[in-house]
Amino acid sequence: MTTIEPARAVVYPFVAIVGQENLKISLILNVINPGLSGVLIRGEKGTAKSTAVRALADLLPEIDVVDGDPFQSDPHDPRAMAPEVYARHLAGETLPIRRRKVRVVELPVSATEDRVIGSIDLETALRDGRKTIEPGLLAAANRGILYMDEVNLLDDHVVDVLLDSAAMGVNTIEREGISLSHPARFTLIGTMNPEEGELRPQLLDRFGLCVHVEGLNDPAQRVEVVKRRAAFEDDPAAFAERWAAETQKTKAAIAAAIAAYPHVKAADAILFAIAERSLKLGVDGHRSDIIMLKAAKALAAWAGRDRVLAEDVEAAASLALVHRVRRRPFEHIVNPRAA
Amino acid sequence: MNSVSDFASAALLRKGYPFSAILAQEEMKLALLLNAINPSIGGVVVRGEKGTAKSTAARAMRDLLPLRTDGTRPAFVDFPLGATEDMVVGAIDFECAIRDGELRFQPGLLARAHQGVLYIDEVNLLDDHLVDSILDSAESGENIVEREGQSLRHAANFILIGTMNPEEGELRPQLLDRFGLAVAIVGEADPALRVELLKRREAFDDCPEAFNAAYRETERAIAQRLKAARERLAEVMIPDHLIGFISEICSRNHVAGHRADIVIARTARAFAAWDGRSDVVADDILKVAPMALLHRMRSATPDLPPPPPPPPVPSAEDDTPPSDEGDAEPDAEPGDGEPPPPPAGDDANHDAGDSSPAPADAAQNESNESNERDDGRAENDDGNELPDELQEIGATFAVRQIKSQTKDQVLRTGSGRRSRSRSASKQGRYVKSTPRRQGRNDLALDATLRAAAPYQKSRRLVATREMAVIVTPGDIREKIRERRIGNFLLFVVDGSGSMGAQRRMVETKAAIMSLLLDAYQKRDKVAMVVFRGRSAEVVLPPTNSVERAARLLADLPIGGRTPLTAGLAEAAGVLRQMLRKEPSLLPLVIVLTDGRANAALGDGVARDEALLAAQAVGDEFASAKFAVVDTEAPGVVRLELARQLARALDASYFKVEDLRAEDLVSIAKEQQT
Repeated sequence: MTTIEPARAVVYPFVAIVGQENLKISLILNVINPGLSGVLIRGEKGTAKSTAVRALADLLPEIDVVDGDPFQSDPHDPRAMAPEVYARHLAGETLPIRRRKVRVVELPVSATEDRVIGSIDLETALRDGRKTIEPGLLAAANRGILYMDEVNLLDDHVVDVLLDSAAMGVNTIEREGISLSHPARFTLIGTMNPEEGELRPQLLDRFGLCVHVEGLNDPAQRVEVVKRRAAFEDDPAAFAERWAAETQKTKAAIAAAIAAYPHVKAADAILFAIAERSLKLGVDGHRSDIIMLKAAKALAAWAGRDRVLAEDVEAAASLALVHRVRRRPFEHIVNPRAA
Repeated sequence: MNSVSDFASAALLRKGYPFSAILAQEEMKLALLLNAINPSIGGVVVRGEKGTAKSTAARAMRDLLPLRTDGTRPAFVDFPLGATEDMVVGAIDFECAIRDGELRFQPGLLARAHQGVLYIDEVNLLDDHLVDSILDSAESGENIVEREGQSLRHAANFILIGTMNPEEGELRPQLLDRFGLAVAIVGEADPALRVELLKRREAFDDCPEAFNAAYRETERAIAQRLKAARERLAEVMIPDHLIGFISEICSRNHVAGHRADIVIARTARAFAAWDGRSDVVADDILKVAPMALLHRMRSATPDLPPPPPPPPVPSAEDDTPPSDEGDAEPDAEPGDGEPPPPPAGDDANHDAGDSSPAPADAAQNESNESNERDDGRAENDDGNELPDELQEIGATFAVRQIKSQTKDQVLRTGSGRRSRSRSASKQGRYVKSTPRRQGRNDLALDATLRAAAPYQKSRRLVATREMAVIVTPGDIREKIRERRIGNFLLFVVDGSGSMGAQRRMVETKAAIMSLLLDAYQKRDKVAMVVFRGRSAEVVLPPTNSVERAARLLADLPIGGRTPLTAGLAEAAGVLRQMLRKEPSLLPLVIVLTDGRANAALGDGVARDEALLAAQAVGDEFASAKFAVVDTEAPGVVRLELARQLARALDASYFKVEDLRAEDLVSIAKEQQT
């Protein structure tokens, strides 16, 4: 399993990424409210997509987990506990708590279904003749971020099981003699190069937000990218140190926004504006409304307001609607006037 | 262990959104409730776009189901797409076998769903072999296990609920028909409704406990009403004259078999019970009939006749069938000697498709070559070519199945959806196990342990070392994995000037686009070769990006001569390359042309040369399947040169207009009657 732990190596600081404001804000919004259920980052190679996701690990808040639990159960919420932990909770045990950062778990393109869902533990089965589960990536990603580079190249059946859990927040294992359900709530972050094929609509819809990144056009910015990159490679620790104050500031701002989020209110006029935007564009279902509202609230919280403004809806719409516009594949080509 | 996991799933699902808080979508809610009242309706499939509360509603039903007679909560089994077969039908519990030396059957999902609900989200994505096991049980009400030395049967009566988004591909017609009811849902178009929905959802996400508490009373009221309706059901009768009405509805909508009749009767009774009545009235039938017909008829909206007047005096010797009463339903099976409906599905369609008679104008094949004059518009033999022309893409359509491959036993690698195949790599879905084959190292541990389990006692007696499990080579089982293999679609497109006549290219582009849409759903790889003027060119090297192909197609100009041989040669080059990389590939080559070759590579006659080349290509690529789509405009005289090409390639032959799926449906229907 690849777990990106920021402590292991110095990561390029998030705040030092030049430009790409849409990308940065969409990631931050997902940290403020994991209910946004992720970002799909579309763009060419070499546009800081992966750098940004890896750097995000630095900004993530800390959470309490039950120590030693492979399913990352929440010690304070019985509904977010894995079966075994829940049984211990019912039995009145005081659960050991460990505080750690929200995790970024990487799902490699070559991942097999067993590794994603979880499978039978070979060793205990052979040594003790007992059925135990070897938890998969979905267990590791619970309450964290599931990061998929080149998400459009994932195997079809892996996508199927991902959809299953992403929809419900529960991973149900019925394989190889193992029968178990455990919580699997995660923020999906995917990157893709559209030249290599599109995503299935159902998976597309699971990403709350979608941003399109392009290479920078401003020569000054491009120079700045190269300079910073070189400085980072020369001495990563010193570079990170130079940006430490900025990183701290952003972390504090995120923490403030997380605290403020529950108090952000949206007036009815705002809700109507949201519904009408979805209707005008012709999107499938209602998820766009729900996501737009959450994104607008997170934007307001990020700006330090307790009220959603029209401009928040505007900005939220630009992140939440692009990938949801209802069209048959290639409708823009088949029928250019409708596009 | 099961009790722990039940506890936990209950805890996980306590977060569920309450049924009564779901706005609108009345038909879906009704269909779910009616199935809860009368489980013999046969379940419901909810079809609709994403984000329309399909699965929320299905899962919310869980808390409404009336308790069983023994006071326990009925099961609600959430069927995961990644389930393995042993967990569905049940298998030996190896843990118990090894520990106690006792062969105990570990019940599968089908057993757990007994007297409850089996819910399959994304049912259209479920693997065929699992679908078959589920259907067998759903149909017979029992699960028969004959495997791993176990031989038993147990009751498996459950309400089958499926949800699906048709965008991701259709459900096999056989499976569709097994669902009693079907409803189609779309998002709300009324802004006020959407806002209310948004408010509720946000309130739920903010604090699920408070939200659920606010709906506790309405939930309880629905559960009460459901319970009362279920108790009343046995006494609900359908008057005889309405039985005839049901048959009339079904025959009017050309529904095959009796299943629809039976389902409408059962559903109408449930609806009357839900409404607190003991007599079914015509309106009940009109209300529920669309749900029973949606997935069984061809048109989009059912044709519902006006209800019949009640007969003044009920005749004693009425020859309408007896009314549908009680849960025993003696008339449920087609008792009048008629065979059950044939499985109208892929296979039937496919067979009919392959043998579909070529339209009768084959005789006109003889037509003389001088008729070729009509394509002289854009090109003439001395090479004076008119400027290139760009024709747009015509309206697309659903394509008939050009090729259907049955599951084969050849091991392949790949990923896609068009064909299913056994997978040789360790990728792919673990389907079931097999005794060890040579040279693979893909251990199916569970199956191996189950195979070893019965012998543990005896082996321990003679064992030299202390081991928990003694496995011998004969116990080893390997995984059989299944994975969908995408096809490789190679389009060989005639871009010559003659394709411009009567705007044929518009039709042709529409055909290619339709095939591309189909390829997109099936995750095929595509490539495109265009031949025109003096040469042929690979305009699109093999790619997964169907979008790119589509863009290219839009900008494809036409003009110049028809170098058919060059096109075939280029296609052969692409095939050779692809097959070298992936020898297990199953390419499908679609040649779109009117066959009027007039530019040779050598000194010979262009048309003869092309036919020879076609023969050579057909012979060289035995694993490829070829199809020729004749783009010749319909008219009084058709040359059908493309038909000769098809013969030389050993290809199936279609006219552009035959590609449409609905034509296939009608051909299939004609052949059945």
